Amino acid sequence: MFFQLIASGVAIGATYALMALAMVIIYKTSEVLNFAQGDMAMLSAFIAFMLLTSQGLGFATAFALALAFAFFLGAFLEFAFLRRAKEPTVLGLIIITLGLEMVIYGLASWKWGGDQKDFPFPVSDFETYNLGGGVVMSQLNLVTLAVALALMLMLFLFFSYTKVGVAMKATQQNESAARLMGIRVNRVLMLTWGISSVVGAAAAFLIAPTDTLDPNLMWTPQLKGFSAAVLGGMTSLPGAVGGGFLLGVIENLFGGYVSVEFKSVVAFAVIVLVLCFKPSGLFAKHYVRKV
Amino acid sequence: MRKGLIAGLCLALVLAWAGGVMAAEVRGVTPTTIKIGQWGPQTGPAALWGSVARGTGVYFQMLNEEGGINGRKIEYFLRDDGYQPGRTKAVAKELIENVGIFGFASGVGTSPGMAVMEDIVKNNLVWVGPATGSTHWAFPPKKTVFAVYPNYPDEAAILTNYILFTLKKEKIAFIYQNDDYGKGGLDGALNEMKAHGKKLVLEIPVEVTDTDLASHVLKLKEAGAEAVIMWVLPKHAAILVGTAAKLGYKPQWVASSTLSDAPLMYNLTKGLWNGVIFGNFAELPDSNDPLMAKYKAAFDKYADKKSDHWGVFFYAGFGFVEPMVEGMKRAGKDLNPETFVKAMETLKDFKGIMGKVTFAPGQRQGMREVFLAKCETADITGPDGKTVKGGKAVRLSDWISVK
Repeated sequence: MFFQLIASGVAIGATYALMALAMVIIYKTSEVLNFAQGDMAMLSAFIAFMLLTSQGLGFATAFALALAFAFFLGAFLEFAFLRRAKEPTVLGLIIITLGLEMVIYGLASWKWGGDQKDFPFPVSDFETYNLGGGVVMSQLNLVTLAVALALMLMLFLFFSYTKVGVAMKATQQNESAARLMGIRVNRVLMLTWGISSVVGAAAAFLIAPTDTLDPNLMWTPQLKGFSAAVLGGMTSLPGAVGGGFLLGVIENLFGGYVSVEFKSVVAFAVIVLVLCFKPSGLFAKHYVRKV
Repeated sequence: MRKGLIAGLCLALVLAWAGGVMAAEVRGVTPTTIKIGQWGPQTGPAALWGSVARGTGVYFQMLNEEGGINGRKIEYFLRDDGYQPGRTKAVAKELIENVGIFGFASGVGTSPGMAVMEDIVKNNLVWVGPATGSTHWAFPPKKTVFAVYPNYPDEAAILTNYILFTLKKEKIAFIYQNDDYGKGGLDGALNEMKAHGKKLVLEIPVEVTDTDLASHVLKLKEAGAEAVIMWVLPKHAAILVGTAAKLGYKPQWVASSTLSDAPLMYNLTKGLWNGVIFGNFAELPDSNDPLMAKYKAAFDKYADKKSDHWGVFFYAGFGFVEPMVEGMKRAGKDLNPETFVKAMETLKDFKGIMGKVTFAPGQRQGMREVFLAKCETADITGPDGKTVKGGKAVRLSDWISVK
């Protein structure tokens, strides 16, 4: 049971990692925690669902279109709402994202109803591979794992080695200086929101087939993703992914050996502990803001 | 003479006043209408059960078309509470104080119902057929509250008994939602096992917000349970059978009547629901019961096919309210809470599309029987005319009542 608990923990951890990545991207550039992250992803999943079922598109086309939708959704929300805030404080912006979350949730409930739907997916969650010793992982788990690692690597390279990526980093470290250096801060922020939304949507596409599709789909994954990001360090991409895996494994081991009843609150205990002892997270470099 | 006149006038005034009181209007009842309300989750995690309230709407529409009840048409007020007790309280307040309804018909959810029961009882409103099998409605009995749904302990006991003596499996585990709903079922199973000198091999809780049940399933597997009884949300049932299939664990799944919509569960689980045995409180969708045929016709005529299918939760909205309609009919032209309660207490072995319903003074649990069915794979013709594999409930037993 021990090794299966770890394998299952890694599998669910991969979904937390994806959500953590999505949150970290926005946090890295603007220090805003995006509470609408989960529901933006949920909306994109519904768009994919609609394209697949009522439009009858193939998986590749439907998912590609839905990811494009996710990008525009993220960019649009930044452009239409966050940018309009007058003299914004970080707290004010966070409250805006909370508002957006409620609007999107309401919109999805109104458009598709609240009842659970089956989300079609090309890769099966029941076809399993034996990893040795009877420990299994499903095809879907492996795909999720691969997607999480690939996205992490791509984003890491993007932030470190591309001009736009570096501009994003600069924006986070000092917005005014970045502006003076000729970086179009607004455009950079819009782009971050777009990318983050795409990563979130990818997470939703991979979570929905293991669950049922309904407007509450991403509520728990978002909280877990947030916990994972805090655990790993809010500013570190590899940290977020590592935090996701760690959280998944901790949860499963706790559920398996200590108490199933309190399994779902372990994530929050983890947040409290990390904030007490290592506020910057396990994997992030301690970062002191210069005055 | 003059004194006599004054006394006479006073007497007349008093009589007129008293008469006025006697003829005072009954809340929610006019010569031509009866106002009835219901809450139900049209959004949120339990929205799958929201069709109950829409079913009641179609039922009333059908009755109104037939001329109503003793010449009165039913005005129906459906409110969404999202399965959140706080919102249920708000909508109940609105319906009681602003709309002024005669009573509530059905209403999904144990916690939502608990949030408003006190207001209902205090205001002397009638409430019939809560769409939940909790024991709180009928025990202790409250004058105006009539429970129809067979309660969870009864149902769980019947299911446990079936596993022990018909399926002949002794290693039984129970997985339940960690609240009143799940614990009600758990109590029934525990008692039934105890009555036969046996124990559950494992009892394991699920939180409403859980989405990963891998460690739950691994524990069930390790306990070696041959049969697992589920008292959870449809969403969790789907995750459970999916995770178990992935981890190569194949017990006999047995589910509560809250999960009895076989075609829907079959689709949600991508076919893994095949073989699951579950309790039922109402006839199956393809039943040839004449009342079912009549209700199906009403569904075809009035229901919104985009949001609803002819499934058990939809026509449960008819079934839970049938006794209420019968009570209003029997109460006659002079309908008020008193006459209604008296009329309800005359219901003995009343049979609609559910099991037999009996009320009496001091007895408020109307129905105490369920029957069992099994989900099987069948060829289903979809709305587009194509034949696909789908789930179909096949009856396993007659109505079984608690001993």
